[in-house]
Amino acid sequence: MRMTRYLPYVLGAALAALFPLFSGAYLEQVAVGMLIYLTLALSWDMLLRSGQLGFGTAGFFGLGSYAAILLFLNVGVHPFVSIAFGGVVAGVVALLVGLAVLRLRGMYFAITTLALAGIFAVVLRNFPGLTGGSEGRMLPNCIYAGNTTKIYWLVLALAVFTIVISEVFERTRIRLALTSIRNDERVAKSSGVNVFKYLVFVFAVTSAIQGLAGGTYAHVFGFVSPEGSFSANFLLLPLAMALLGGVHSTWGPVVGGLVLGALSEYLKLQIPYGHLLVYGAIIVVVTLFLPQGLMGTVRAWWRRSHVTRGAQ
Amino acid sequence: MTLFRTLRRWQLLLLLASLGVPIVLMLWKPYVLIEGLQRGGLYAVIALPMALILGVVGIINLAHGEFMMLGAYFAYWMGVYAGLDPLVAMIPAVVAFALLGAITYVLTIRRALKAPELNQLLLTFGMAMVGAEFANLMWTSQPLKPHLSYVYSSMALGELRFGTYAFIYTAAAIVLLVLLHLFLRKTRLGRAALAVGQNPRGARLVGIDVNRTYLLIFSVSIALVGALGAMFLTRHSVFPSAGSPFTMKSFCLIAMAGIGNLPGVVWGGFGLGIAEALVSSFRGYGGWADVVFFAVLVAVIMGKSYRRQTA
Repeated sequence: MRMTRYLPYVLGAALAALFPLFSGAYLEQVAVGMLIYLTLALSWDMLLRSGQLGFGTAGFFGLGSYAAILLFLNVGVHPFVSIAFGGVVAGVVALLVGLAVLRLRGMYFAITTLALAGIFAVVLRNFPGLTGGSEGRMLPNCIYAGNTTKIYWLVLALAVFTIVISEVFERTRIRLALTSIRNDERVAKSSGVNVFKYLVFVFAVTSAIQGLAGGTYAHVFGFVSPEGSFSANFLLLPLAMALLGGVHSTWGPVVGGLVLGALSEYLKLQIPYGHLLVYGAIIVVVTLFLPQGLMGTVRAWWRRSHVTRGAQ
Repeated sequence: MTLFRTLRRWQLLLLLASLGVPIVLMLWKPYVLIEGLQRGGLYAVIALPMALILGVVGIINLAHGEFMMLGAYFAYWMGVYAGLDPLVAMIPAVVAFALLGAITYVLTIRRALKAPELNQLLLTFGMAMVGAEFANLMWTSQPLKPHLSYVYSSMALGELRFGTYAFIYTAAAIVLLVLLHLFLRKTRLGRAALAVGQNPRGARLVGIDVNRTYLLIFSVSIALVGALGAMFLTRHSVFPSAGSPFTMKSFCLIAMAGIGNLPGVVWGGFGLGIAEALVSSFRGYGGWADVVFFAVLVAVIMGKSYRRQTA
C-alpha cells in the first residue's frame, strides 16, 4: 500500500531528474527559469498559509542575489557557500523586518513588504564602492561555466528542497498553528498558539528560501543590478503561478508554476514587451472568479463526482 | 481625565512642531522648506483620493498610483493629438477617468467587497500590474514629458531665488482638502458617504443606497487622481513605473494620519516632503531621500502596535 502511495512522487522525481537526457539545451534553460519562479511561488504560498499577504519576494530575491555575488567576488568562497549566505542574509533581514512590522498585519504588512524591493535597491545603489551602484556587478564566469545540464540539476535541487520544506510545514504541528492563525487569530491565540512568533518564523524561513533562489539565479546568469535583481517579474510571476495553481497547498503552486512557466515561454515569443500584462490579468481573473485555483477546482470536481457516484 | 491631558499634550507638541520646524528651516535652509512644501503638496494631493476610497469603500487601492500614471499619459497624448495644455487636459481627464473608475468598480471591486481583505489587496495589486504593463506595452518604458515654458517661472525674495510653479501642488492639496471637507459635510452624497464609511449596514437601514455610494465615491476618486496625473505631468515626466511609489507614499501618509483623517494626510504630506527635501539637501546623501517614507511607515506601524498593546 505504502509503495503505491509514494509511486507518483518517485515517478515525478525520476522524470524531473532525467529530464536533461531527452531535452536540448534550450528546454533545459526554460526549465531553469520555470523552477526558479516555482520556488518563489511556493515560498510565497507558504507565508500565505498563515493568512499574511507578503509582496516581498522580489525584494528578498534581489537581496539574496546581491549577498551571494558580493561574498563570492570579495571573499572568493565556493559558490554554494555564497548561495547559502544569500539565503541567510535574506532570512535575517526578514527576521528584523518581521519583528518590527508583523505586530500589525493585513494591509500594513502587505504594503511594507511591497516597498521592500525598492528600498533594498536604493540602499544597495547608495554603496557604489561595494555594489557597483546602478551598474551592478558581474561575475567573471557563470557557475559550472554555463553547463545547462548541471545548472538544471542545481536549480532542481533548490526546487525539491523547497517542496520538502513546504511538505514539512504541511505535515507537522506548524500546519495546525498556521491554519488556525489564518482562520481566526483570536481563537489561535486563546488555544495557546504564539501568533507573533509563528508569523515571524514563517516570514524569515520563506524569505530565506527566496534569498537562496536569488543567489542561485545570480550565479546562473552571472550578474546583479538594481533594476535586474529587484525586477517586479520576481513578484508578479510567482503570484500569478501560485494563484493559478491554487493557494494553501504544496501542489497548487507547483502545478501553477509548471503550467504558467510553459505558457510564459510561449507568451514571451508572442508579445515580447507586454507578456507581463497577462500575469497581471491572471491575478485579477483568478482572484475574482477562481479563488481556489486549478488544483482546488479539480479537487472539488473530483470530490463531487465521487460523492454522486457513491450515492447511486 | 488622563486621556484628555495626554491628548492635549500630543496636540500641543504637534502644533509646536508644525510652527517650529518651518521657522527653524526658514532660517537654516530656506530651500528645504520651499522644496518640501512643493513636494509634500504633491504627495498630499495624490494621497487624498486614496484616503477617500479607504475611508468610505474600505478598500486599499494598490492601483492608485497606476491610475495617476495613466492620467499623466492621457494628458500627454491629449497634448500631442489635440494640442491641449496638461492643465486644460485635466477637464477631459476627469470625465474619462470617472468613466474608467465606474467600469473598474462594476467589473472588479464590486465583486470583491465581501471577499477577505487579502483578496482585495491581491485584486488591486493585479490591477496595478495590468495598468503598468499596459503602459509599457503601448508606450514603452521611455519617459515622456511635454515642453512647457510656464513651469520655469521663478521669483526672488531678497537673496532667495526659487521656482514658484510647483507651489501649484501645495495649493491643490489645500484646495482639494477644503473641497472634500465641504463635500463630505454639506452635500447629501457626501454625508451619505460618511455614513456608509462608518457603518454600511446602518446606512442601508436608514435607506442609503450603499452600492451606488460606493460606485460614486470610487469613480470620483479615480476621476480626481486621473486629473492629478495631468497636473503631475506639468513638472515630472511619465513612464510606466512612475505611479507605484505614489501608491506606497500615499499609504504611508494615510497610515500616519489614521483612516478617515483627511487634514492629517495633508499635514503628513508636508512633513514627508520636508523630510525628503532635508535629506536631499545634504550633498552625497541625496539618494537616501527615497528611504524616508519607508522609515516613517515602519515607525508608524511600531508606534501603532505599541499603543495597541498599552491601551
